[in-house]
Amino acid sequence: MKNFKANASLMLFVTPALIVYFIFKLMPAVSGLYYAMTDWNGINKTFVFVGLSNFIEVLKDSYFWDSVLFTFKYVIVMVFVTNVIALLLAVVIENLHRAKGLFRTLFYMPNMISMIIGGYMWMFIFTKVMYYLADNWGWTFLDKSWIGDPKYAFIAIIVVATWGAVGYLMIIYMAALQGVPAALKEAALLDGANPWQQFWHVIFPMIRHAVTICVFWTLNSGFQVFDVIYSLTGGGPGRATQSTAMNIFEEAFRGNVRYGYATAKSTVLFAIVLVITIIQIRAMQKKEQEA
Amino acid sequence: MKKFLVLSLIVCLVLSLVACSNDAVSDPTETTEVGSTESPRVAELNIMMSIPQYMDQWDTYVKQFEAKMLAEENIKVKVNLEMPSSDQYESVLQARLTGGDAPDLYTLHSNNIATYDKAGNLTDLSAEPLADKIYDNVRETVSIEGRLLGVPLESQAWGVLYNKEIFAAAGVEIPKTLDDLKNITEVLKEKGYTPFMLAYQEQWVPQLMTALTLGGKVSGEIPDWVDRMYADNGSYEEVIDIFGPIDLIMANGTDRAMEMGSESGAAEFAMGKAAMFVQGTWASGTIMTTNPDMKLGVFALPVNNNEACTLVNLSTSTTLAVHPDAKEMDLALKFANYVLDDQDSAGLFQACSFNPLATVHNYEPASWVADASAFVAEGKAYKDLVLPSAVTDEQGKLLQEYYVKTITKEDFVKRMDEVFKSSNK
Amino acid sequence: MTKRLRLTQILVYLFLTIAAFFCLLPILMAIMNSFKTNGELLTDVMALPKGLSFDNYIRTFNKMHYMRSLLNTVILSGLSVTLMVLFSALAGWRLCRTKTKLSAFILGLFIFSMLIPFSSIMIPLYKVVLALGIKNSLVGLSFIYAGLGVSMAIFLYHGFVKGIPIELEEAAAIDGCNAFQTFFLVVLPMLKPVTITIVITNVLWIWNDFLLPLIVISDNKKYTLLLSTNTLFGQYSSDWTAILSALILAALPVIIFYSFFQKQILEGISEGSLKG
Repeated sequence: MKNFKANASLMLFVTPALIVYFIFKLMPAVSGLYYAMTDWNGINKTFVFVGLSNFIEVLKDSYFWDSVLFTFKYVIVMVFVTNVIALLLAVVIENLHRAKGLFRTLFYMPNMISMIIGGYMWMFIFTKVMYYLADNWGWTFLDKSWIGDPKYAFIAIIVVATWGAVGYLMIIYMAALQGVPAALKEAALLDGANPWQQFWHVIFPMIRHAVTICVFWTLNSGFQVFDVIYSLTGGGPGRATQSTAMNIFEEAFRGNVRYGYATAKSTVLFAIVLVITIIQIRAMQKKEQEA
Repeated sequence: MKKFLVLSLIVCLVLSLVACSNDAVSDPTETTEVGSTESPRVAELNIMMSIPQYMDQWDTYVKQFEAKMLAEENIKVKVNLEMPSSDQYESVLQARLTGGDAPDLYTLHSNNIATYDKAGNLTDLSAEPLADKIYDNVRETVSIEGRLLGVPLESQAWGVLYNKEIFAAAGVEIPKTLDDLKNITEVLKEKGYTPFMLAYQEQWVPQLMTALTLGGKVSGEIPDWVDRMYADNGSYEEVIDIFGPIDLIMANGTDRAMEMGSESGAAEFAMGKAAMFVQGTWASGTIMTTNPDMKLGVFALPVNNNEACTLVNLSTSTTLAVHPDAKEMDLALKFANYVLDDQDSAGLFQACSFNPLATVHNYEPASWVADASAFVAEGKAYKDLVLPSAVTDEQGKLLQEYYVKTITKEDFVKRMDEVFKSSNK
Repeated sequence: MTKRLRLTQILVYLFLTIAAFFCLLPILMAIMNSFKTNGELLTDVMALPKGLSFDNYIRTFNKMHYMRSLLNTVILSGLSVTLMVLFSALAGWRLCRTKTKLSAFILGLFIFSMLIPFSSIMIPLYKVVLALGIKNSLVGLSFIYAGLGVSMAIFLYHGFVKGIPIELEEAAAIDGCNAFQTFFLVVLPMLKPVTITIVITNVLWIWNDFLLPLIVISDNKKYTLLLSTNTLFGQYSSDWTAILSALILAALPVIIFYSFFQKQILEGISEGSLKG
């Protein structure tokens, strides 16, 4: 009876959120799952229920798995690059005596701007400014095929994505660093630790929870990467820089417009991300508890 | 901190009030404008188009249509013209169609007519007055079994664009065979010109090379190839010739092709950076605004040394269709007819620099259009091959890869055969 | 020792300045080139513009129907976030304070969907939009954003409420407050730090979101800033001066907003995400 009363009052408070959530997220997601089991092409008025055959086809779709591989590569590089840079900036700026606020403000700025807009701005840099510098200022190391060579296109994508993400992570790290008691740092220095040891053995364990959050964030947003690549290389040359989200988008809206099949692919992506996220959170939490 | 919260809450509340009252307030002011004796019928027409670069021209035309309807039919039409950028056009259109919320009129590529027809998204316009105005060879490109399924907007004969001044300065003539083209390339290089403009950043641009070479090869030598491909009974191996010109073009083009967008490519071509550009006449707008003095010409791209394969492509890209579920079918048809209106259509088509395609288009075509039309008049033209759009897309992708040398000719043939087969399913 | 310290200090500032310059490079380049004519831009992208001409800006400002688009975007993000905060604060608080199986289930229901990619719900969502007749409605779109955003917000509120003592609420109950009064008078004020986080991150998301409004809004009188910018790209795809000035105009409100509230924004982001 007590439970019933608690539940009733709970429902009273939860219902508004539940309604909008149910109508605009859950229901579409579930009906999307239904389309994943049809051969619907997105235009026809009729379609046939095909069971799991779309999922079986996904397993054999080499373009899809190539894009998954590319996405993994992207995510791994992004997790390292953005977190290392963000942490480095956070530590350096946190120890400044002057202009702390100024640098914090500047580095966070790109995060405020839409990636579509940022992507266009960078496109201008990569297709116009770089070559101008190479041709007129003799900076020939910039004379690379920034969009056309899969190797350099990957670098270009990482640069732009890092540019957009680093500020956000940096802010979180800075907040965590502020939470480290000054007494601890001083004690370490008195014990004769050099700054590197001080950071590794004293500070880093204290900001582990921030690392967990930032890695979770980069992983999750990394697996769904779309905007940056779309506005920079369009997935090209060919499919060399195609992320999974792009592969799905293309399947649903280009070529054979196989919407049902595309939804099957996105279900697979969801499953992959879910598993990895669970593993990551478990592992990190364990580490945090050990520390 | 508190100030910030309070302030933002107030702003939100005020704005949401504004948002709610907006719709209610705006209506009465609109109706007061009407003062005629018999109040006109009010109607709405939704039009979606994929050509935002001509937004201004169509806005004007729509206004003319609204005025005409009010004056002649006493209908107060409100036309909602939606023009998403071409990147997102298909996804938006598709969302609308699947949602059962199709626009009354919408544009599509004529190659997709069969697919959209099968899905029941097109209205037969054969009985409309506009039908008789369209030139026969254009009408064919937007018809299935004699049923006219759309109003052609952009129709063109196209091949390779070239800079007539550079050709004259180098003393070369337009090619008839692949050997001619090789010759021209050599001469141009000797004289210090870059032969070809390459702009491969967007996948549809390299795709144009396959469109032209496949069309020429197939129409000139193996006319049953497309049908056989649809029947899983053919291969790209048979049309391997297409790499003759493709290799030549790729080897003798401008640098940084993958970093060059189609529009920048057109602009640079206009400034004389290269002598030839495999690009349709639709690029003429950008070219002529960049360099109004440009002497632009068109020739047919040779595929091999068989002159019968050297043909220009006759195609209709943007086509305006009427959706069968249009709420105001009568008005939708009126608009479709108005696009080829006896008085106003020529002005519109000229303003958008579209090619004349109907009897009402009595304006002088641009010189490059005349060039291409000369090929058509001599019978050196073919109707654009209708390939599944997955195949067309794939060709563009693979040519990008071929250009950056991540695949070989053999890979191209193998992968294209696979893609064609899988879209036949 | 001091000399070495000073040297490292200088090096640190040098490093940061270079990094900051790199960070601002795209924006600076865009600003610089947006003042040029197309001819100037094509001949030399690194040169300073010949004069400070606002022609490009005036042209794009009018083409984008800037003020209208701006107002639409402000309305949309303001209303969406208000709804989201209200709904998820109510739910997150109660979910945390109720320890039943049902509450655990509901919380799980909200959280598991955080990873669903948007592309897979896009078309079904559009069907819902049509069924409810909220196409072309900014108010309707706000409810959609609320629906899509509550998961994350509830997750954050739930985590935050865990950290605040229950005694105050109990005291309020003893004083005769009902649950709603307790919520609005006692709980909501305490949730301020995490609310600021949620407001900021979601305003940014909605402000910069593109695909959803593109599909839901077809009437260009209701276009958001990003939609208007996008249309402009289609119209002037070869004219970098038009594109760059549009980019700057689209980014300007965010930059202004940021420079006014940067302290709150930065604190909001860090506090909320660390506690959540």
